[in-house]
Amino acid sequence: MSKIYRQWVKEYQDQAWTVARYILKDAQEAEDATQEAFVKLWNNQDRIDPEKVKPWLMKVTRNGCLDRLRRRRENVEFDEAHTAADTYGPMQGASDSETGAWLKRAIAGLKEPYRSLVVLRDVNQHSYEEVAGMLELSLAQVKTYLHRARKQLREQLAEVRP
Amino acid sequence: MNKYDEKWEERINALLDGDLSNEDAEMLKAEASDDRELARAIIEAYQLQKAMDTIHVERAPDSLRKKLKAIPRQQRPAFSFNLLQPRWVTALAVVPLVMISVSLMQPDTPSAAEIAKARQDLALAFTYLDKAGQFTGREIESTIGTTMSQAIAGSVIKNIQSQNETSKEKKV
Repeated sequence: MSKIYRQWVKEYQDQAWTVARYILKDAQEAEDATQEAFVKLWNNQDRIDPEKVKPWLMKVTRNGCLDRLRRRRENVEFDEAHTAADTYGPMQGASDSETGAWLKRAIAGLKEPYRSLVVLRDVNQHSYEEVAGMLELSLAQVKTYLHRARKQLREQLAEVRP
Repeated sequence: MNKYDEKWEERINALLDGDLSNEDAEMLKAEASDDRELARAIIEAYQLQKAMDTIHVERAPDSLRKKLKAIPRQQRPAFSFNLLQPRWVTALAVVPLVMISVSLMQPDTPSAAEIAKARQDLALAFTYLDKAGQFTGREIESTIGTTMSQAIAGSVIKNIQSQNETSKEKKV
């Protein structure tokens, strides 16, 4: 059983970490949240369908991060939504890495579930169906919310990169 | 966001995801040539997609990788009530035997000889119980330490002695 667990760690640790990193925006806390999710995976490995480990793990990681956010009792969404666009000046002529760094902050500044949707679909490249399963949303909801999230990002990008 | 926007978004995203048929894609482009807003939305969507291509899944830090690998060693196996475990098999086998023994030891009017035999058996049983208590004490001692084992074994022996004394008193 330990062998298959090691395989899961190898395959999913980066994706789970990415989800936690974007949602929590704090490396130490993201590390703790990812570790917690994998402890749950280890303790529940007999009860999880091996075919569904990835969506299960992403869901558990995300839920753990959201719990942590609630515990923080901060209005992170509001603050960071503004920080993302305000901190950075015009991006015209900016390099790809600068654009990427800006975009990461912009994604981190989105509200839930938009942020998780963009991270899971556009960053982690999970399929629409997988994302729907992870977030317990219908396929239509996933597409609609994702369109809204992308529109927000697009408009912010257009503002800083005319 | 109005219905018109939603419809646009759906089609623009389908275009970028490659989910729009050639016919629908051509139709959208034709509409965009007459609608500056739509054209701008499509261009911005392409720019966002290009920007998205620059960000990827992040590599988990080495400290986290080590922690995740260590989880199987750190997590004790959870207690599980598995009826196939030897201790439960033994316990389950003993239950009917005890029930049968108890039912057989219930004669209506036992004779003096039977009572004497029963006392003998009881004394023998106490001897075994005494040994079992000592064995258990040693087991406990090896698991949780001498202090606790002395307390438990002492209690068991005291109890046996008390039972023996009661038995002797009855004989007298």
